[in-house]
Amino acid sequence: MKTSIPYHDVLTNYFAVATVLLPLFACLVNCCLPGKRNKVSGWIATAAILVSCVLSVIVFTKIWNGNEVYVQRLWFTIGDTQLYGGIYLNNLSVVLLMLVSLIALPVHIYSTAYMKHDENHDRYFIYLGLFCFSMLALVVVNNMILLYAFWELVGFSSYLLIGFWFTRDKAVQANKKAFLMNRIGDVGLLTAIMVLFAQFHTFDIPDLFSNGGLVSQSTIQNGIWVTQGGGLPAVWQYIAFGGIFLGLAAKSAQFPLHTWLPDAMEGPTSVSALIHAATMVAAGVFLLGRFYPLFNTTELDILAVVGCFTAFMAATIALTQNDLKRILAYSTISQLGFMVMAMGIGAYASSLFHLVTHAFFKCALFLVAGIVIHEMQHIKEDNDLDIDPQNILYMGGLRKKLPLTFWVAVIAGFALIGLPFTSGYLSKDGILVQAVDWSDSKSAVFRLIPIGAIVTTWLTAFYVIRLITKVFCGDFRLEQFHPHVKYHVSDGGLQYKLPLVLLAAASLFPIFSLNPVLYERAWLFEGFGSIHLERVNIYHTIVPVGVNILSLFLMYWAWSVYSGRKLMVFKQTGFLFHLSYREWYIDKFYNKVIVGAVMALSSALSWIDRKVIDGFINGLANFMVAVSKIAAWFDYNIIDGISRLLTFIVQITGNFVRRFQGGKIQYYLFSMLAIVLALIIYLTV
Amino acid sequence: MITLTDFLIVSAALFCIGLYMIITKHNAIQILIGIELMLNAAILNLVAFGKFDKIANGGQVFALFAIVLAAATTAVALAIILNVYKKYRTIDPGKIDGLKD
Repeated sequence: MKTSIPYHDVLTNYFAVATVLLPLFACLVNCCLPGKRNKVSGWIATAAILVSCVLSVIVFTKIWNGNEVYVQRLWFTIGDTQLYGGIYLNNLSVVLLMLVSLIALPVHIYSTAYMKHDENHDRYFIYLGLFCFSMLALVVVNNMILLYAFWELVGFSSYLLIGFWFTRDKAVQANKKAFLMNRIGDVGLLTAIMVLFAQFHTFDIPDLFSNGGLVSQSTIQNGIWVTQGGGLPAVWQYIAFGGIFLGLAAKSAQFPLHTWLPDAMEGPTSVSALIHAATMVAAGVFLLGRFYPLFNTTELDILAVVGCFTAFMAATIALTQNDLKRILAYSTISQLGFMVMAMGIGAYASSLFHLVTHAFFKCALFLVAGIVIHEMQHIKEDNDLDIDPQNILYMGGLRKKLPLTFWVAVIAGFALIGLPFTSGYLSKDGILVQAVDWSDSKSAVFRLIPIGAIVTTWLTAFYVIRLITKVFCGDFRLEQFHPHVKYHVSDGGLQYKLPLVLLAAASLFPIFSLNPVLYERAWLFEGFGSIHLERVNIYHTIVPVGVNILSLFLMYWAWSVYSGRKLMVFKQTGFLFHLSYREWYIDKFYNKVIVGAVMALSSALSWIDRKVIDGFINGLANFMVAVSKIAAWFDYNIIDGISRLLTFIVQITGNFVRRFQGGKIQYYLFSMLAIVLALIIYLTV
Repeated sequence: MITLTDFLIVSAALFCIGLYMIITKHNAIQILIGIELMLNAAILNLVAFGKFDKIANGGQVFALFAIVLAAATTAVALAIILNVYKKYRTIDPGKIDGLKD
């Protein structure tokens, strides 16, 4: 233990650890369950997350605006570096801890019904438990190594859940894409962590990023990034920022790494609600919150520009999409853009506030989408139709069939637009006001940021109403295509209704502020020391009023346009429509340029491999074969030849000599006589 | 007067005749006869040279000894021929080639 802490803090600490570990425990229990006991695994996971939820609320009440709890033990030592593992609870982490478990609870309840008929029910809850564990751990860990580990684990469990229906080719493509794009971000984050370690010689988050921590003491002077006892060239500070930005862009789906999120909607809708709307995508914003003291003014400006651009781009794309979940995915990207922009303009508290409110209403919208898709799927299967159950062009008039779902969609949709009396109003208008304030102190170009944000708000109003009108109002358009279709749809049982009601309630203002129109009174701001709490100037009145009045007009316009019976109202031609419908051609561009380049490079490499490397090896082999053939010839003809010649000579000699050995005694005598005579002649002559 | 040279010529002729018989004849008996002729050529030489040893008559004595030995060897040789005939049913030395490899 590094610090001695009072008893009740110890208890808090244990509660926090239990909050994190319970989903993992449920996940492990579900792993060990024999067979596929459908009901059991779902209820085990739900019970675990319920306890987690209660504990996280207790932890929250203990820590919020109180003492930070900071417990750690020595984990391991490498050289002189001691690495401590532990938890670090401050306002930021307890808010997210509570948020994640509060969102996970309704999603778990919903999933027990939603996934009831899936044959891999137990696998689903194992993955979900793993995700909850890693996400909860991510927000409470105290050092960057653990942060990185859980960051990866969150990405991995997201990968598993996107590809949950791995027999569908599209799901497999989508989870591969999500995983690869998240890898880019992971590499960035790892780079940033290494740079920070090289600079500050510690992985400890409280040491680095707390008030008066190492990071806030370091400054850039004369191109050197100065810190206590040394410094690095200033470029490393920018590299660290770049790495964090990559991590943020990949996890929170910011331009240019956002394209995985719409594809990730291939996973089950409950997963999209939990991971790709409310929690995991918030990890990037959480990372910004943790590392906030690191960024200097230039870097914050970059964040603001990227966030604003992402918000605007995603909102324009959402205008024309026809896939229910894709629209919601792009609105998520857009809202995440708002959060990043808020971080960039220094509205730290507003950004986190928006993260919290967005999590609730976006989760509610996804659960609504889940019910609608579920019912459409039933209609499709009952009538044996060949339609896409997620296509909003086939929907319409569902208001009467799904009344509760409709009202939840309206509340959550209004929160997404940011109308008064909803939570979205409090957080989003806070961001807008501060953006206008901020641009006052900047050059004229930066005026574009608040203007872009406000335009995005209006676009949001339009596409949300388009979505709600097309799905819930007018006539059921499927009947126009298939007049004899039979259907009976309903809101579903308590497992569907309860989460929807809970989340819709959390999308209204009383949870966050007793005053429905003045965002400055929201209690969440107290914990983050916001500087914009006073109504310092006229913007605090003009901006919300002006934005909302125009939003209302746009909403009415969208409603009147789309509640007409015609299927396509605007002309589906023109550059702007295609730009939006084709998602700004970004995917196409990536496929052409990056995927195409990689494919070209790899086919070139494969050609080199086959022709040059293999060719060289083959040539070498052929050469060796030729050499060995020569050697074999030499061996056979020269070496063996000599010995064969010898044997031949011996054989010839032998054959010649054996002729004398006829066995005839007179022959021998004659030979002897001849030899004696020869000897005599030789000796005498 | 018969000179020593005449004896030696007769003896050499006898030796050559015997040698010729040994090499050419197809009958073991005839070969044996050839051997006897060569032996007698040698004995004739001994007697002829005996003229130079009139006191001890070494030549005459050695000739007698050789004749006795020749008789003994002839008996043995005839016995061998008889056994060869029993075994091979022939006494043609050209047909008895058991020494062949």
